[in-house]
Order: sequence, then structure tokens, then C-alpha cells
Amino acid sequence: MGAELLDARPALALLVSATGAGLIMLIGYRARLRAWLAVGAAVLKFVIVWSMLPGVLAGQVYGLTLFEVLPGLALELRVDALGLFFALVSSTLWIPATIYALAYMRGRQGQRRFFSFFALCVATTVGIAFAENLLTLFVFYELLTVCTYPLVIHEGGLAARRAGRRYLIYTLSGGALILTGMVVVQHLAGTLSLSGTGILDSIDNHAALLAIFVLLVAGFGVKAAIMPLHSWLPAAMVAPVPVSALLHAVAVVKAGVFGLMRVVYNVFGVEHMRVLGFAGYLGLLAGFTILAASVIALRQHNLKRLLAWSTISQLSYIVLAISLLTPAATLAGIIHLANQAFAKITMFFAAGAIQRATGKTRIDELDGIGRQLPAVMASFTVAGLSFIGVPLLAGFITKWYLSLGALQAGSGGYMVVLALSGLLNAAYWLPILYRAWFKPPAGVAAAGNTSPLAGSAALSPMMLVPLLICAAYVLLLGVGAEAPAMPFVLAEAAVRLVFGLPGPAP
Amino acid sequence: MRALAAFADWPHLLPALFLLPLAGAALLPALLRTRPAVAWASALAVALATTMLAVLALVRLLGDGDYGYAMAGWAPPLGIELRYDRLSAITLLTGALVSLALLFARREMTGAGRRQAVLYCSLVLILLGGMNGFVITADLFNLFVFMELLSLPAYALVAMSPARGAALAALKYLLPGAVSSLLVLFGIGVLHALTGSLNMADVAVRLTPGGPSPATVLALVLISVGLLVKAALFPLHFWLPDAHSAAPGPVSALLSGLVVKMGVVGVVRMFDVFGPALGGAMQAFENLLLILGVLAILTGALAALVQHELKRMLAWSTVANIGYIFVGLGLAGSAAVSGGIAHVFYHGLTKAGLFLAAAALVERTGLHDIDDLRGLGHRMPLAATALSAGLIAVAGVPPTAGFVGKWQIALGALEAGRPELLVVVLGGALLALAYGMRVINALFFRAPVSDQVVTASEAPASMLVPSVLLVALALAGGLSGARVIEFILPFAESLGGR
Amino acid sequence: MALLALAAIGVPLAGAVLMIGPGRHSRRAAAAIVVVATAVTAGLCLLLAAHAGAAPPAGLTLIQLVPPMPIALRVDAMGALFALTVALLGVLATLHALVWLREDRRYWQYHAVLLLCMGLMLLVAFAANLITLLVGYELFSLAAFVLIVHQRSPKAFAAGFKYLAYILPASALTLIGTVLLVFHFGSIEFMPGGVLDRAIPPAAYVAWICLVLGFGVKAALFPLHGWVPDAHPAAPAPFSAVLSGVMVATGSFAMLRVLFELFGPAALGQMGVMPWLGTAAGVGVILAGVLALGEDDLKRRLAWSTISQMGYVLLAASLLDTQALAGALAHLANHAFIKGGLFFCAGAFIFSAGVHKVSELGGLAWRMPLTAVVLTVLSLALIGVPPLSGFVGKWMMGGAMAADGALLPLSVLLLGSLLAALYLWPVLAAIWSPAEDNAAVEPPARGGGDPPRLMCLALAGSALFSLLFGLAAVVTGYPLGLAVRAAAVLTGGATP
Repeated sequence: MGAELLDARPALALLVSATGAGLIMLIGYRARLRAWLAVGAAVLKFVIVWSMLPGVLAGQVYGLTLFEVLPGLALELRVDALGLFFALVSSTLWIPATIYALAYMRGRQGQRRFFSFFALCVATTVGIAFAENLLTLFVFYELLTVCTYPLVIHEGGLAARRAGRRYLIYTLSGGALILTGMVVVQHLAGTLSLSGTGILDSIDNHAALLAIFVLLVAGFGVKAAIMPLHSWLPAAMVAPVPVSALLHAVAVVKAGVFGLMRVVYNVFGVEHMRVLGFAGYLGLLAGFTILAASVIALRQHNLKRLLAWSTISQLSYIVLAISLLTPAATLAGIIHLANQAFAKITMFFAAGAIQRATGKTRIDELDGIGRQLPAVMASFTVAGLSFIGVPLLAGFITKWYLSLGALQAGSGGYMVVLALSGLLNAAYWLPILYRAWFKPPAGVAAAGNTSPLAGSAALSPMMLVPLLICAAYVLLLGVGAEAPAMPFVLAEAAVRLVFGLPGPAP
Repeated sequence: MRALAAFADWPHLLPALFLLPLAGAALLPALLRTRPAVAWASALAVALATTMLAVLALVRLLGDGDYGYAMAGWAPPLGIELRYDRLSAITLLTGALVSLALLFARREMTGAGRRQAVLYCSLVLILLGGMNGFVITADLFNLFVFMELLSLPAYALVAMSPARGAALAALKYLLPGAVSSLLVLFGIGVLHALTGSLNMADVAVRLTPGGPSPATVLALVLISVGLLVKAALFPLHFWLPDAHSAAPGPVSALLSGLVVKMGVVGVVRMFDVFGPALGGAMQAFENLLLILGVLAILTGALAALVQHELKRMLAWSTVANIGYIFVGLGLAGSAAVSGGIAHVFYHGLTKAGLFLAAAALVERTGLHDIDDLRGLGHRMPLAATALSAGLIAVAGVPPTAGFVGKWQIALGALEAGRPELLVVVLGGALLALAYGMRVINALFFRAPVSDQVVTASEAPASMLVPSVLLVALALAGGLSGARVIEFILPFAESLGGR
Repeated sequence: MALLALAAIGVPLAGAVLMIGPGRHSRRAAAAIVVVATAVTAGLCLLLAAHAGAAPPAGLTLIQLVPPMPIALRVDAMGALFALTVALLGVLATLHALVWLREDRRYWQYHAVLLLCMGLMLLVAFAANLITLLVGYELFSLAAFVLIVHQRSPKAFAAGFKYLAYILPASALTLIGTVLLVFHFGSIEFMPGGVLDRAIPPAAYVAWICLVLGFGVKAALFPLHGWVPDAHPAAPAPFSAVLSGVMVATGSFAMLRVLFELFGPAALGQMGVMPWLGTAAGVGVILAGVLALGEDDLKRRLAWSTISQMGYVLLAASLLDTQALAGALAHLANHAFIKGGLFFCAGAFIFSAGVHKVSELGGLAWRMPLTAVVLTVLSLALIGVPPLSGFVGKWMMGGAMAADGALLPLSVLLLGSLLAALYLWPVLAAIWSPAEDNAAVEPPARGGGDPPRLMCLALAGSALFSLLFGLAAVVTGYPLGLAVRAAAVLTGGATP
């Protein structure tokens, strides 16, 4: 166990983005200034978060108490391996997301409000990552909902408002469930701290524990899009592409599964959960979601909606991983936070690029688009293959560890679920790749653009570069997972903390 | 701190808390009838001074603990005793809120309201004096006197409102209020007959040997019904929506924020008076409060949800929040009670801020309906943001002010082995969030439909400062929650002699 | 040594990358790149084959992908055998393709993906553990799709989708099998004699089934062979040669690796599962041979022939006998050139004469003499006529079966050869039939003579190899020597 150090950096990371958001709202009337503020805040935050990596790997934990809201309950930040991993993923992805958004939203109205809330979202996400106790997590969790709402309804109009309303109703109800669960936890355990491996360890009131489990899992499950709490997610696709990328790849949905992780690993603790036996039901629900969402995805015509259903399915990989309660599975869940994030954001960026360059949003319009936008489709291909589970890409690593984890838990049957899911993924990604690369563009003679970047000339490099970087990351995460400098080591450290294991390998 | 402590040792601090505003109230019409602006300024000064005195009183409490004062040097039980305990710290709130309300009302001091300005300021000061006295008195009859002193100006202030139906609303307020005052008086009379004393502590002691006799119970019933009318607990709340929505902004703020809470304070004092005597039978009373509180939460929240008028919605919200307070008091565990009393403070702050912000919006545009106010958020951003923030705070989203009390009450429910109350507590919060979201949505995310909205301009500083300040405190109030709870806890633990 | 292996893998991959760059603008540059790349690779593999077995296998660890095994290479006899086969056939196929794609605008795509496939197959050959093998195998499977559908015709796409429909579930099964092995065996590093050092866990059976089914799809094991008759004809002829020659062999190779170096003959014997494999393979031999008889399309006939011939490999392997295995490995290598060459011929017929069907082959020998001679030689080799190469493997396999008393497999072997004769005879008869019987056939587009020089070179090369490997079976090391050594290692745990 490393030392607990008092450090301002967790709060700083939060403040940087919050300040950026405030500045954008107050003085961000000119596009240039807005861009500098947004990107500057993102980069600063990235630097601050990454600076904590060496220390945490060495076993240190950074903490900072903010305010004491109730006796014994404070708004407190704490940086441990799991939290830092989530924060790393978020802050790393924020930079390409911001740059992309700046390009995508050019010329649209309401940019000041948009970018201000955009920056606030990452601040709250980092707050969730660094929460020391359930209360702090909850506060930032709800703040995230509030900050993402204006982004979801940004386009205006009836569909956007309806989607926004549904989003709010679902997420706020989820929040109410979490709050209820929290009160019960506080009553039973006397604390809401997330720094241990099971504050409910000594409680054996089975009924109360079950109630807590159901409340917290359902509460966090809304954002984690576990069926049947998922229907806000496809509806939220009315939001502009950078927002969908944000919501679905990085912030909102990952916050949901992160919350679930904290509940299972830090509130209940793996040992206690195993004894109680609730996790099995969660696993079944996750397995169902994985398959059902993929089946529904097969029937989608709109590209973004397909991506939404794919997200629902992929998130349940993480939920399944959480429910298996073994080291390999936990590792799979944690790294899938990153793997799915990078791959999905790549896909969203690609969808947005296609929409901007050609106006196309339906899958059946994508014939031959590989010829027009080769770099974009190449990135999309990488991401799609990653989801199918092709080796050397990020998705394979997740599948490997998740399969191992299922065997470790004695639930080998889930390997079949994963195999089926891989096939279903192939069933909906490969047709898109086939259309894009192997069919001639509709109506236009295949004149044979030979340069890889042709057609992308219509796209600003500010949209193209983030896309390529994220695709490259998918490859990097797949090939170099175990390389020394990668955050994979951080994920392993987190697993060790969860299981109380010493030494390196899980 | 030490300098303050020196001032706090002024022996006549406690009576000054009510004498100063009352004196000011008397002098204003006498001296300044023709100079409304100066009158207003003087009233504000008096209110601020009273607030300062309250600070000193609190400082003394923190230093020395509870302390008392015998009026005119006559020792109790014969003389009238004043007593400052932790609950009395509410005087801080009364002074502050009155000052801010006066500040807000500046505009009304000029222009159309000029002729009534002096009367207005005077009434407000009487209200302040009455409330302060109510909170620190230890004598039953004194309690009644102060109760009248705070009620009568309230009726008058409602009646003075330029809004339509104000006179009717004032009547609706006056009649139950008068009846309730009579009930309280009768109850005090019974107690005097039973014990021969009027000092609260003394009465408590003398009642004890008799145990839960019918007469004692009768006294409790009379007094509590009267106080509960004042506190607007379901089902005695029927007068509130009309009164609080018809009153002008600052008055509503004071009514919902403070006056209603005085009923609560009274009931809390009665715990100490009747607790030792009734013993176990007190539980039945607490249960009753609990049930009524639950009903109040549900009725208030549901009713608020379907309101069209902004201020009526806020009034029903007050009904709901009073319900929370009584749920806390009814659960009787130290966590729950501390939560309830903390909520008295916090809700006072929040609701006052809300009414001031709402008044800014309503009085600038002349529109009362939520739907008419669509899009106003862009024309009056500060006031609208203040209103929105206040609505979040009143719903009890952590870490705002509303959260502290509700959390403690929820914990108290679990401690008392009544987890089903969690549903009520959190359901009420969700509903509050729902009606809050409705307003926020209308203000910021819908297009304007009324001309007055399109031509509106931001509220003046005199309106903005108080509302924004209060709402900011409400938002951040939760952050200091631990200290407030810790402050209240000793009082909560010793309540009712258990 | 292992570095050479890395180079052998890297050269084709580098070539593929170059093809996308400079190669796409100039046919000359493309031709140069692809010829150089394949030639260098072949040279490297020759070196490796020569030295394989001279010393203990050298290993080279690359990156750690997922624990417990890193991406690692190892040069042993079996791997070198397979690698050299791939490399040499690659050279020949490239020569053939340079002509075949003369008028194809997307030639650079073909060459690039083919080089990629070659590199990946070499990765499979030199894989030191199952993970490395899987990486190469999966990626190569996906890349092959691109080549199968190269012509972009509806038929090609249909064949391609069918291929995918088989390959994707297969890869899911191999993953499950691999994970099961990792979990229950503890290691997936290829060790002669197998890695299982404890009692056979029940999960081993599940893993066996998964892996056999998974690799069996590509190895055209009955009843998983359904994609072959469509895919091999639909692909461009040079790639059909590669498909039939080495791609199917890759499946068998992978299966043999897993069976002999992860499970190990001892465990397999205990588990008693090999007879099932043998039965399936045997049925495949017979069934495919029979179905070949009914095909009029030449390439389809050859595709069924592949299924039939490759069945021999697994049939022999199922006996768990050293000599049988040696014969199987030799057959694997020889078949590559034989079937490859046959497809080259079929390609020549299509290219020069526009002829696809056996019924249209009348008298072609007189117009395309070289092609016809090569076809005849290779057909004889396939049937197993000594001293051509096809005889070598069959003789060894047959001998081992007879010695073991495995009469049923032996009769299958003989029956298979008979069937081969039966379905190849009409082809030979047709092309050698006298010219006057075929006056009705009009002169085809490209003058109808033997194909251009490079293609002829490829044809001649494959025939030559068949002859050579048959004659020199015992004298030189390849392929028989290597095969024998490899088999010894696989079954006996002797030093490789």
C-alpha cells in the first residue's frame, strides 16, 4: 500500500476545465479565442492528469478534501489506479474531441454555450474519476448529466427536445435510485468511502444488501445502458456528432460503468460479492444486453444509430467483466474502458466526417465511399475490425482477457456469448466495409481516385487528424498493450488493488 | 474574534434583538412620514443592526453556551425570561433576510408605492421584532404576544399588495390565523390553570407529576393546532398558496422563508414543554406529525407540478418542504431532528432567494404564468439563472442547501427502522426536480411567446443582489452542511428531555 | 537464424507497403517489387530450410501481446518446410500473375495483398506459440477475402461471402479453443510432444473440438469444406493456385501444430479422438473425389480435387504414426506445387483460349503444347505415378498404413488415387484429342497459343519441381528430408 499524499493536482485538473468553461462563456465571442481556450484547457488538463501517472504506478495515492457537506461526509478527491485510468482515457480523448468539435461546429450557432459546456463535461468526468466517496461521485455524476443536457439538445427542434427530455428523465431517475442506495449504505456502513475494498464487508443483512445492490446497479445502469434502461442512448443520437462521440465513447456511458465498478469493487468488494451471489444476475443481464443490442443493431439503417446500439452492446462487455469478479475479467473491463472509447470515437469521427463531406447519414448511401474518403474509411475499418476482435487491434485484447476471466470464474459459457457477439459485430460492420470499399459509388463512374487523401480535401485537417490519431491508438492499444509505457500497467495496478494482490501480473 | 466577544458580553443583548426593530418601527412613521427614501434607508439600517446583534448573540453562544436574560431584572418564574439556545440562532437568519428583502423592495419605495412606503417599512420591522422575540422568549404568554406581533404585520403586508385578489388572500390568511391565535391562547390558558406558571421550563417541570392527563393533552392539542396552522402543515396549509403568491415579492420571501418557520419553532418549543410530562404519549404526537409531514410532501410536490403560476408553484413547494421538516421532527431520532431543524435554516435561505428571483422576473414583465415567461432567460440572464439555481437547490441536489436536511432525515428514517420513508423523501426530491426543470426549460430552452418577454431588460441591482446572494448561499450552503448539523446536534439530542 | 525468419516475414510485408506507394503508378515498378520480394523471400526460406534441424531451433521473441505468450518466432523443420513451400509457390504464382493481370487496372492491389498474405503465412509457419500463429492466421484469413473477390463479379462476391460465413465462426471457435488451452494447459508454446504435463482435463476435449473445427474450415476438412468449390474458382487463377496450394495447407499446418505440439501424441492417444478426425478426413477424400467427377468447370474440378487430396494429410496424421506423418508433410509440400501448377494451367487455358470447361478443352494440346505437357505431368504426379513427387508422399503414407494394419485408411488412400485418375483422365483425353475432332471450335481471342513467357515460366517451374522433388526425394533435404525430420520431432520428441 502506497502513501496517501495531499496533492492539489486532482482539484487542479478539475479547475482547469471549469475555468476554461467559464472563460469561454464569458469572453468566448470570437472563434479564435474560443478555440485557444478550449484546446488550451484540454491540453493543460491532459498534462496535469498524466503527471500523476508515475506516482500512482509507484503505489502512491493523491488525495484532497474539499468541503465537508455532512458530518463524516465530505466532498473529497482521491486518485487511485482505477480512477486515474478513467481520467487518463477521458483527458487523452478530450484533445482530439475538442479539435474535431471545433472543426465540425464551424459556422453553427450557439458555439459559446456549446464549448463552454463541452469543457465543463470533462471537468465533471474527471471529478467522477477522482471521487473518494459515493457522495462526491454522485455530485459530479449528476453534474455531468446537467452539463451534457444543453449539448444533447443543441440542434434544437422537436426531436432534440424530446430526446433531451428522455435523457433527463432516465438519468435523473437513475440518480434518484443511486441517492436512495447511498443513504442505505451510509446507514449500514457509516461511510461512503471508495478507498477500501468493501465498506459493506461486515454487514450481513441480506435483504438490505440486495436492496442496495439493486438500487445502485439500476441507478448506474441507466448511464451504462444496461437493458432495459438503455433507450435514452439511441434517442440521443440527434445530438451533433462531437457530442455523440463524447457521450458514447468517453464521458457519460463510461461514467456509468465506472460507477458500477466502484460499487462492486469498493462498496461491496469482490469477496463479499462472491459470497452474496448477486453478481451472477448482473452477468446474465449483461450477456443478454450484449446479444440483444447487437441483434437490434443489425436492423439499423442510420449509421449513427447503428453506432449507438453497438455502444450499448460493447458497454455490457464491461458490465459482464465486472460481474465475473476475477482478476482477468476485471482487467478486461478496465482496459475496455479505453479500447471501446478509442474505437467508438474513431467511428463517430468517421461518421461525422462522412456527413460533413458528403451529407450522407444512411448506411445504404455509403457505396464506394472508401474511394472518396480513403483515410476516413481506413480509420473506420480499423475500428470495425477491432470490435470484431481481429488480433493486433485493441478489441482482441479485451476479448482475450474477458474469455480468460470467464474461465477463471467458472462461467465458460460466456465465451460463447463473446464468440456470438464477435460474429454479430462482423455481421454489421463487414457489410459497411464491403459497401465502402468494394462497391462503386452510386451514380458516379469509378474514376479511380488514386491518392489516399483525395476527397478528404473537402475535410478540414482538424477533423481528419484527430480521426487518424484515434485510429492509430486503436492499433497501438492492440499491439503495444504490454509495452512498458502504456497505461496497461496502470490497469494491472488497479486490478491488484481491487483483489488485494501483490506484485505485477494479474 | 476577541473584540466581538467583548461586544457579545453586553448584558442587554437579548432584549435588544427585538426591542431595536420594534423601536425603529415605532419611530419611522413618527419621524419620517414624509421622507420615504430616508425611512427606507433607516429601516434597512435598523435591520442590519439587528443582524449584527444576532451575530454577537451567536458568538456568545459559541463561547459560553446557552444563556438567558430576565426582563426588567425580575427572575423567573415570575418575570419574563428570555433564553438563547442553538435554535435561537435563527435570529441571524431573520435579520439577514429582512435586510435583503428591504433592499429588494427599494424600487417600491419610489414611484407608485411611495405613500405606503413608510407603513411598509414599519410593518417589516415589527415583523422582525416579533420573530426575534418569538424565537428567544422562554415565557408562554410572551410567546403568544410575539406570535401576534409577527402575524399581524404579515396579514397587513399581504393586504397591501397591489396584486389582484390580494385583499381576498389576506382575508384567507387572517381568518385561520386569528382562529389559530385564539386556540394558542386557550391552550396557554389551560396550561396556566394546570400549573399556575407561564415560564416554559417551569411549566414543563410542574406538568410532569400529572403525567399524560386529559387536560395536558388538551393543552397540547390546542397549542399545536394553532401553531400548525401558522406552520402550514397539511391539512392546515390551505391558506398558504393564496397568501404567498398574492403577496409582493419580498413579502412572499419573508413569509415562506421565515414566518411559516415560526410555527415550526413554536412546535419545537412545545416538545420541551410537554415532553417530560407526556413521556411515551409524545410518540403518538410525533407519529401524527410524521404522517402529516408525508402527506404534505406528497401534496405539495404534486400540486406544484401542475401549477401554471410561478409564485403559486413556489408556495406549494413551501408546503412540501414544511412537510419534510415535520417528517424530521416526527421521526424523533437525533439525525432526523437535526435534519429537520437544519432544513428550517436552509429552506428559509433557499425559498427567500427563490421568491426574490421570481419576483424580479414577474414584476419586471408583469407576467405570472410559467408558460408566458418562456425565453425570458435570455433577456434577464442573471435573474433567471438565480431562479434556476434556486430551484436546483430546493430540490436538494447535493451539495446544495436542500440536500443537507433531506439526507439527514433519510438517515433518520433508516435509523428509526422505517425505510419506506426513503421513497417519500427521495420521491419528493425527484418531483421537486421535475417542477424545477419545467421552469428552467421554459426560461432557457423555449422561444418567447409574450411581447413583454421580448422587451424585458435585466432586473436592477437592488433586486439582483439580494436574490443572487441568497441563491448563491443556497447553492453553496450544502458545503458547510457538516458544521451546521454539528451545531444543531446537541440541541436535537436534548430535545424533549430524552 | 531466427532473425532470418523475421526477415523472411518482413520482406513480403515491406513489399506490400511499397506496392501501395511506388508500385501503383508503374507496372514496371510493381513487377520489380513483387519479383524481388518473392525471390528474396524464397532465398531466405531456402537458407532456413537448409539449416533447420542442423541446430536446436532458434527462437526470437518480439512483442508481448497478451500473456502468457509473446509474439515469438521459431525455426524448426516443419516450419521451414512449410515456409519454403509457401515462398517457392509464391514466386511461381507471382510470375503467373504478372501476365494474368496485364490488363487489370487494380494489379497493384492484388500484388500488395498477395505479398501481405505471404508474409502472414510465413508468420504462421514460424510461429513459436499459438498466439503468434493465430495472429498470422486470422489476419491472413481476412486478407484472403480481398483476393477472392478481386474480379468484383457477382460470382466472386458470392464466393467471398460464403468464405466469410465459414471463416468467421471458425475464428471464433479457434479463439475459444485457444483460451481454453491457455487456461487449462497453462501454456500454448509449441513443444514437441505437447505441453500437457498433467492429467487430461475434460475441457481438453472441448478445446480439441473447437480447434479442429476452427482450423478444419480452412483445411477443407469434411464437412467444413463448403467454401472451397466456390472460392477457388472465383478467385483469379494465380490466387486460386495459392489458395489450393498453400492456403488450405495452412489450415492443415496449423491443426498439425496444435495437435502434435500442444496436445501431443501421447495425450491424443489417451483421449482417443483422432479416429474421428481420420474418419472425417477419409470421408472427405472419397466424397470430394466423387464430386470432382461431375464438375464440368475445370477450376471447380480442381477445387474438389484439393479437398480430396488434403484429406490425405489429416487422414494420415490421425494415425499418430511417425512415418505416416512424414508422408503427410511431404504430401502437403508436394501437393502445393502440383495443384498450384494445375491451376496455373487452368489459368493459361482461360487466358489464352478463353476456355473454362472441361467439355471445351478439345484438342487444346495441339495449340498450347507446353501447357498441355505441364498439365499431363502434373496430373500424373497427382495420381501418384512414380517417379513424380506425388508418389513420394503417398508411398510413405500407404506404407505406414499397411505397417500399422490400418486397412481402412489404406483403402481410402488407394481409392482416392483411383478417383484422381478418373477425374483427371477426361481432361487429358480432351486436350490430347486429335485436332480434326475439334474443327468446330473457333479460334479464340488471344491467338490461342501458349501463354506469354512469364506464365509459361510459372507452368514449367511447377512441373519441374514435381519432377525434381520426386526424383530427388531421398537425395536432397527438401521436401522429404525435412518432412521426415519434422515428423520425428512431432511424434517422438526427438531433437529437431
